[in-house]
Amino acid sequence: MSVLDRIAERQLVVVTGKGGVGKTTLTAVLGRLLADRGKRVLLLEVDPRESLHQALGTEPSGGGIVQAGPGLSIQNLQPDAVIEGLVREKVPIPYLARKITESVAFHQFVEGAPGLKETALLGHAYRVLHGGHRPRTDLVIVDAPATGHSATMLAAPGLLAQAAEGGQLGAMASDLAAFLADASRCGVVLATLAEEMPIQETLELIALLRAKLGIRPDLIVANGMYPPLPPGAAQDPGRSLWRARRRLNEAELARLSASWDGSLLELPLLPLDRGPALVNALASLLKRAEP
Amino acid sequence: MSGALLTGRLIVVVGAGGVGKTTLAAALALGSAKEGRRTLVMTFDPSLRLKDALGVAEAAKDEPIRVMEDGPGFLDAALLDAKHTFDRLIRTYAPDPAAAKRIFSNRFYRDMAGNLSGILEYMAMERLFEMQASGRYDCIILDTPPTRQAMDFLQAPDRMMNLVDSKAIRFAMDPWWDDAGRKNLAFRIAVKGAMELSDRIIGRRFLLDVVEFIRAFAPLFDGFRSRAEEVRNLLQADETRFLLVAGPGPDRVPDAMFFLRKLKETGHHLGPILVNQVHPDPGPVAKNDEGLTLLRFLAGRDQRGLALLRSLFPGERKIIPIALEPVPPADLRTLALLFDKLSTTTSI
Ligand SMILES: Nc1ncnc2c1ncn2[C@@H]1O[C@H](COP(=O)(O)OP(=O)(O)OP(=O)(O)O)[C@@H](O)[C@H]1O
Ligand SMILES: [Mg+2]
Repeated sequence: MSVLDRIAERQLVVVTGKGGVGKTTLTAVLGRLLADRGKRVLLLEVDPRESLHQALGTEPSGGGIVQAGPGLSIQNLQPDAVIEGLVREKVPIPYLARKITESVAFHQFVEGAPGLKETALLGHAYRVLHGGHRPRTDLVIVDAPATGHSATMLAAPGLLAQAAEGGQLGAMASDLAAFLADASRCGVVLATLAEEMPIQETLELIALLRAKLGIRPDLIVANGMYPPLPPGAAQDPGRSLWRARRRLNEAELARLSASWDGSLLELPLLPLDRGPALVNALASLLKRAEP
Repeated sequence: MSGALLTGRLIVVVGAGGVGKTTLAAALALGSAKEGRRTLVMTFDPSLRLKDALGVAEAAKDEPIRVMEDGPGFLDAALLDAKHTFDRLIRTYAPDPAAAKRIFSNRFYRDMAGNLSGILEYMAMERLFEMQASGRYDCIILDTPPTRQAMDFLQAPDRMMNLVDSKAIRFAMDPWWDDAGRKNLAFRIAVKGAMELSDRIIGRRFLLDVVEFIRAFAPLFDGFRSRAEEVRNLLQADETRFLLVAGPGPDRVPDAMFFLRKLKETGHHLGPILVNQVHPDPGPVAKNDEGLTLLRFLAGRDQRGLALLRSLFPGERKIIPIALEPVPPADLRTLALLFDKLSTTTSI
């Protein structure tokens, strides 16, 4: 079974990695590939500065669901909005709900409660999948925010379940934690560059995911690889930069492979700007790169 | 020579994750030391090789480590670890060891200390303040945390003050009292709603943990409040400069704008903008030369980014491109070379 086959069977896939390595681009690429296979895919972007819509050439989501092709839609989500929506749902008296969401105590709680924001986001994904929404969604791909260690996002429901044990919130969080821990339904894809810091962080993240959550990523994508230099090329500054960068990419990739025996795919740095052309080109390369 | 870059006694290097802040901070610090200043670089999360180059290990979390000396100047490096600082601070401000122990054993503190947004950043500021106040340095260069939310640290002192003074705290101490010490109706309804919500939805134990934490924390508040004010003054002092590091290309411009807007809003002093990892132009390209076409594209893309930034800030401030190095600088020799390049570009 190929990596894409495996990912296609998931309900939730979290794409994560260091800032600027291509998470949003990869989210769009995976979305395209899986929608092409007939899955109904929703891409959730958490970043307040929207860019997923640019990668796919649609208008910005602004919080709503936007169609990005057959079987593919995107939504930009802000945790505060999700949490406020939940309060409105639980507290049916609008005046009271507003009083709560406007109170300082509430904001301090939202800021301070361990894992609350992340749980709310993943909870939204869960509800999209299992809340009886029409049309149905087969797969949600989350473009995770690059805040500190992204493992915090995946660990959040478990943490919250522990902290808020006994209440409805805790119960919800613990259901969600169980869902995330179910390797047949949820997966993680790591995006990285083959450079020192991103590879270092990827290695740390792999170890952290295994130790804390028992999760093994479905796939690691080494993005933005300088293409190999054709043999016998001339010596000039452009080429020596290229050669040095390629060498760095290879060395770092080797360092990753030395401690990672799972799926690893490479994507080249392409001379294209952010947009559907880049996403389509990378999608067909990823499909071809699969064993 | 390096005038524009090294003005100020405190230089705060800011920017989005992955743009090379740590490397540039290290290069500037090394240059500053070589120019004869007693210099400290405080950094989060350096790469392994940079860690080796600077010789900072776990030990540097407590005390700065001497990296090099050059005549009157020297370079020290310290590693920032927020949790570590938070713990130390609690030990410092707690009225007695038992109070500190109460906080350390609180479950909410253990789970939350790393989560409460702004607190970690505040802790970094706190450590910075300590170093600054020690008078041991002519120049301190601070590398900020590798997150988008890094700018939270600007508001961190205010947030800390707000938290200390907030209704939430009083709510926890005595849930029935409002701002003015009266029980007004709206507040009572809100509190009642919140209490019901908390009980049913959040769970009582969690709330008790939080209340217990706040109660244990309360004796430390006065110390925190006055410290937070001092930290804020330091960040806004004339002697403090913010250096913005941006990634190359037009897609990175919104990030830079975000940081610039934040700095402006908060009235901090902005130095030059460094656009890092700009691809140099490879010159004319033969057909079928796939790789050089790529380099050309990247060079063009990065020039478009620079042009966009310049058009957004016409003549207002220096925007300095820094070329992508074939090999990332990660030892004292290559960091020094990078600094030399930086100071020649800046003097132009
Ligand atoms: N393989 C590639 N070839 C060329 N350009 C790429 C490639 N992958 C990503 N890019 C470009 O790199 C930039 C950063 O990519 P992207 O926005 O996907 O990263 P990210 O990890 O989501 O960043 P952030 O952490 O800021 O959200 C974008 O301009 C994107 O178009
Ligand atoms: Mg992104």
